[in-house]
Amino acid sequence: MVNAIYIIVAALGAAFLLGLLKSEKRGTAYVITLFALSVMTWISAGWVWAFVMERAAPVDFLTGGTSPPFSINFRMGLPEAVLTLLASLTGLLSALYMKDVLCALGQRAMAVLLVAVMALTGIILTRDLFNLFVFFELAIISTAGLMLLSEDARALAAGFKYLIVSQMLSVFFLIGIIFAYHATGTLNIDGMATASLGLKAGGAIAFFFLFIAVVAELKPFPANGWGLDIYESAHPGFAAIFSAATSSAVIYAVDKLLLIGGAEWLPMATGIGVITFLAANLFALPQTNDRRLLGYSSIAQTGLILAVLGQRDILGDNVLYIAGGLLLSHAIAKAGLNWISGLVAGRELPDWAALRSRPILVFAFVTFIAMLSGLPPFPGFYAKWEMVRILAGEGRIALIGLILLGLLIEAGYLFRWFGYIIKREVPAQSVRCSPFQISAIFVALASGWALGFVWGELSNQYFGHDNLLLAIPVVFALTFLLLDWLPAWVKNSIAIVGLSLFFYLTFSDYDPLRMIFAIIFLIGGAVILLASYDSKGRRIGFYPATMLMFAGLILLIRATDTFGFFAAWELLTIGSYFLILRGKHSEPHALSYIIFSLGGAFLILAGFALAAQGAPLFNIDALAQLTQPLAPWVFLLLAIGFMTKTAAIGLHIWLPGAHSEAETDVSPMVSGILLKAGLFGLIVLLMTMGKQQLYGVELTYVMLWIGALSALLGNLMAIFQEDAKRLLAYSSIGQMGYALFGLALMNHLGWLMALMFVINHYIYKSMLFLSAGGVAKRTGTRDMYRMGGLITLMPLSFIATLIGIIAVSGVPPLSGFGGRWIFYNAIISSEYRLPMVIIFLAGPIAFLYLFRLIHTIFLGQLKDEYRKIKEAPFWFILPQMIYVALLLAFAVAPGVALRRVDTYLNQIFPGGGLQWTGTEISSAYGYWNPVAIMIIIAVIFGTLFAWLLFVNRKAQKVKQFNIVYAAERPYRPETTHFAWNFFAPYRKALGFLVQPFATRFWDGVTNTLHTAADISRRLYNGNGQSYAFHLLSFVVIAYLMRMGA
Amino acid sequence: MPFDWMKIPYSLLTLFIVVNYGFFLNALIQKMGARAGRRYGIPIWQNYVDMIKNYGLRSSITHGAMFYLGPVFRLSGGVGLLLFVPTIYGSYMFSNLSFAGDLILALYFIFFGTLGMALGAGESGHPHAAIGVSRGLAQVSTAELPFALAVFAVALQYQTLSVTEIVAAQQGGFLQWTLFTNPLAVAAAMLGFLGSMMRPPFDVVIAPQEIPIGPPTEYHSAYLALMQTNRAIFPIAKIVIYMNLFFGGASDWPTFFFKVFLIYLWSAFVGVVFPRFRVEQSIRWFLIWAVPLGILSIILV
Repeated sequence: MVNAIYIIVAALGAAFLLGLLKSEKRGTAYVITLFALSVMTWISAGWVWAFVMERAAPVDFLTGGTSPPFSINFRMGLPEAVLTLLASLTGLLSALYMKDVLCALGQRAMAVLLVAVMALTGIILTRDLFNLFVFFELAIISTAGLMLLSEDARALAAGFKYLIVSQMLSVFFLIGIIFAYHATGTLNIDGMATASLGLKAGGAIAFFFLFIAVVAELKPFPANGWGLDIYESAHPGFAAIFSAATSSAVIYAVDKLLLIGGAEWLPMATGIGVITFLAANLFALPQTNDRRLLGYSSIAQTGLILAVLGQRDILGDNVLYIAGGLLLSHAIAKAGLNWISGLVAGRELPDWAALRSRPILVFAFVTFIAMLSGLPPFPGFYAKWEMVRILAGEGRIALIGLILLGLLIEAGYLFRWFGYIIKREVPAQSVRCSPFQISAIFVALASGWALGFVWGELSNQYFGHDNLLLAIPVVFALTFLLLDWLPAWVKNSIAIVGLSLFFYLTFSDYDPLRMIFAIIFLIGGAVILLASYDSKGRRIGFYPATMLMFAGLILLIRATDTFGFFAAWELLTIGSYFLILRGKHSEPHALSYIIFSLGGAFLILAGFALAAQGAPLFNIDALAQLTQPLAPWVFLLLAIGFMTKTAAIGLHIWLPGAHSEAETDVSPMVSGILLKAGLFGLIVLLMTMGKQQLYGVELTYVMLWIGALSALLGNLMAIFQEDAKRLLAYSSIGQMGYALFGLALMNHLGWLMALMFVINHYIYKSMLFLSAGGVAKRTGTRDMYRMGGLITLMPLSFIATLIGIIAVSGVPPLSGFGGRWIFYNAIISSEYRLPMVIIFLAGPIAFLYLFRLIHTIFLGQLKDEYRKIKEAPFWFILPQMIYVALLLAFAVAPGVALRRVDTYLNQIFPGGGLQWTGTEISSAYGYWNPVAIMIIIAVIFGTLFAWLLFVNRKAQKVKQFNIVYAAERPYRPETTHFAWNFFAPYRKALGFLVQPFATRFWDGVTNTLHTAADISRRLYNGNGQSYAFHLLSFVVIAYLMRMGA
Repeated sequence: MPFDWMKIPYSLLTLFIVVNYGFFLNALIQKMGARAGRRYGIPIWQNYVDMIKNYGLRSSITHGAMFYLGPVFRLSGGVGLLLFVPTIYGSYMFSNLSFAGDLILALYFIFFGTLGMALGAGESGHPHAAIGVSRGLAQVSTAELPFALAVFAVALQYQTLSVTEIVAAQQGGFLQWTLFTNPLAVAAAMLGFLGSMMRPPFDVVIAPQEIPIGPPTEYHSAYLALMQTNRAIFPIAKIVIYMNLFFGGASDWPTFFFKVFLIYLWSAFVGVVFPRFRVEQSIRWFLIWAVPLGILSIILV
């Protein structure tokens, strides 16, 4: 392998060479620069190859002909190789990216760039403390120089402030070196480590100076105003280096120093790291300037990695995997994002909507923010999982909480930003970029995905988890990224065939319980996708998102260990987020969806981690073996996480907007199918853990109440909606409340009822959403009071809605009744009585919103502007008619779906099931015969209908306004259609129950966060003296915390 | 299970008896109400006359398919409700079609007719129909609650959902009736009963003065005749459930007539004494007065 010193030599030599060139030879100079950077990259890459593929041992390179401590030595190991590759590759790509500005400024700028990259590689490679100092100085000076590349007028001031702060740090560093040398007699880092610097007289203070000087380079809170100014005003090409390479190098320097300091300095690193992580993320919330936001995010990410380094006492060998995953994710994402920021003309976040003209850039953006947020399948995800797992195993719960909170806030502002890109108006100035710039971003994008694969493989190798990028459903979903150029109908066919085929190939794998979910997810998904044939054009981005959601769903029911389950959970969350975001006005709703979902996911993560107690592979079934005092806490975390997805009351505020603003064919997917993921989670949880008590409170009893209240308040809120899809969305909250209630009853029939609701809700809610969506498509509005009298124009939609509402309301003979019947039988055998009262109240309220839905849309007075509208498109009607048939079939023969599950449930709740004799179904308490009911009602109805037809055979159809109306013709249907605020008396009587307490609460939380962030960020007033003061106070506080203790 | 075809004529016989008794009782109660208000009231056969007249009307219009089907739904609801519950305890002949389902079937089938009629009325496009329906639904959602709680209390008490078994458990003297074994449940149910009988103080749904006859506004001729037939059947069918659940059922027709009459009278009795509530008032009234009784009955059973 090439001697690592040549990395430095190449940069230095080229920099000297540049000085010899005439100033007009800029092209040549640029080529030399690129060449030098390529050589550095090539050497580093060679080492990475050697370490990874050939399992080479770390090598020390000596300088000056003698061994340390008498000379400086460089070490090349796997981390060094990866980091030098990172630094030099970032340098190379940034140089490509900055071609114009570098050529304009000439070879001096190029020389400074080379020196900067060289200094960073030096920081990474050197094992000598003073040499480290020298490289630091070089990095500082070259950074200040590179700041001048920017066209931003503030860059000069920012560079100057940086110099002030850096010089203070240098002084600390030097003092530290002097003391440390005095104490140990060596400057070699490994030598100092063996000499146990901390134990020597004055050693601790010496190390404090060293440590604080290097850590402060990571821009810890609050001493980071200067760093933000650099991020904000630097050229994006340089900001990429500063964020990706400089941070990584300094992090590694901290890591080396911690070798000297030993274990007692780790808590301090963790403390500084996690506080910085939280504070920077919090302050990023109110940011509107893109580069400053990226700066905050960079600071936060380095803080997180510092915190991880501080946990190396328990992370052990995994620290490389975890910190490395986080660091590389951060570096690639930040480099990419900074590069993209150079292509966007405006500096406000919504200006990034310009990216929409280049889908590949949008894809790059979303890849980068997914990497930063630690979402699958990127390294950050694996790192997050292992980190939380190990921390939980060691009982460091508070730290987990802080880290997850920070991650949530970060995901919040990153996804808000993504929402701007997708939804905001495209600014006049479009994206302008050269092929060089695009290729830099493309390399970052490709490496992000490649690293995702590598980390997946490592995860498989070390922890036995599956590589997500090799899971067939995920591969299938990602294939649609490549197929996105095809017309929508082709992709739709592939998707439908894919879902059905996967079901065909795997259906023998599922137990009866999972079979219900598999059918709903795969076959049910395929049926809803029929509606997507209505979309014309290419529908860019729809299919990858949809199929990612389905991939997550199907992996969820196939998961056997907690890792697979959680990964699937996150996949389906991201997929559905992209889907929901596609709606016209769904930006804020998609954001609240992803925040709630990720919040819930983090609780699940924490729950699984707690349960595993550090074990790398934890089977879901093993949840059953958990004991007090751990078990109830695990239960609580998981239950809240799953209930976030089922939109249990209090956690429901994301649902109405997300479901109603989604596209017509997306609403049924996210409502009819996606909600079931939460129920599946709850089923798995309750099946394994059963009843749990926390401080004497039965947790399933609490769930019973939550389910009942969700049912009541969901229904109650639904009746006050004017928007048809919002009404249906609120109704879903109620329906999920019923299902939750059934599960929480913890008896055989309760579960059967919940499963009946799962099936029913899928069918009728998908159908109703399609129907309402079809009407909205034709009328151009979702406000029901604007419609009316559409029954003659849209008869098939009417029939679907009619069948739907009869089924939802539980009126015989349709399948909703079966659910109600099982419900009554389930509650008789339950010892809990009070929550039933709430459920009883909820029941009839459903009639109110259901009647309103069908009446205000299809009945009443037809408006003039809609006299010529047509029936909903064929592709919307087709699945609705399939659902009608399904509902009727399920009503007559519920046993087809339920009988096997009923038997299967005997394993969980022995006895208490149903008897299926012929067509009659009976329990210990009652009986019903769906076939008989259907026949009797049909006969009675048919007879009476025939009778009416006979006596009324001459009935004559009259026109719309021919009604008994005080001898008037009400020619203004708008005023005759009784529709708006349909249940006004109800609002007067019970309106106090639907005050938006939950919305106010969550609004309060976000507002408080924003306000706190907005006030605190004024700390950074741009004044160099203030920044110096911040730094000093940071040092003093850190000193008092560490040395005072 | 082979179907006994004799069930059909037997059920029709029940239907025939109940329809006639219903016509009679409706008129009787109305007349008693009138007398309490110092009016003379209608002749006892008035309902027959009305029905024959309505079937005989030659002019007939329709507003559309759903409008046409509304009365069919309505009457099917009434007939179905009656036939899903055994009328006479211990009699195979008058056990009707109760093999199809238990109490829960009857409870939920109550809404079949209501819903269908509401839809039909909705298609007429008359605002009064919609106003009536919105009032009716709003009121019934809380009026049904005490009844539902009482039913649940009774089911808990007897550990069954089969109407026949509930009646069987009440045999052996009137002290065995739910009325005496679980008075709270019966009290709650009887308060809820008032809400479903379309009499004051809960008759704002059809609001005879302000929105002439509410939901059925546009119905006339044979449609109205069908609905009138239902008006004879439906209250009786509902009272049969009350009688079976709370008052020991009836093992012969005279007992049946007597008990049904008394239960029906209860709503008329309250109706002539109290003035009308607005919808939001009745919602609150049921929640404040009737529901707590129902809750107590569930807890104490």
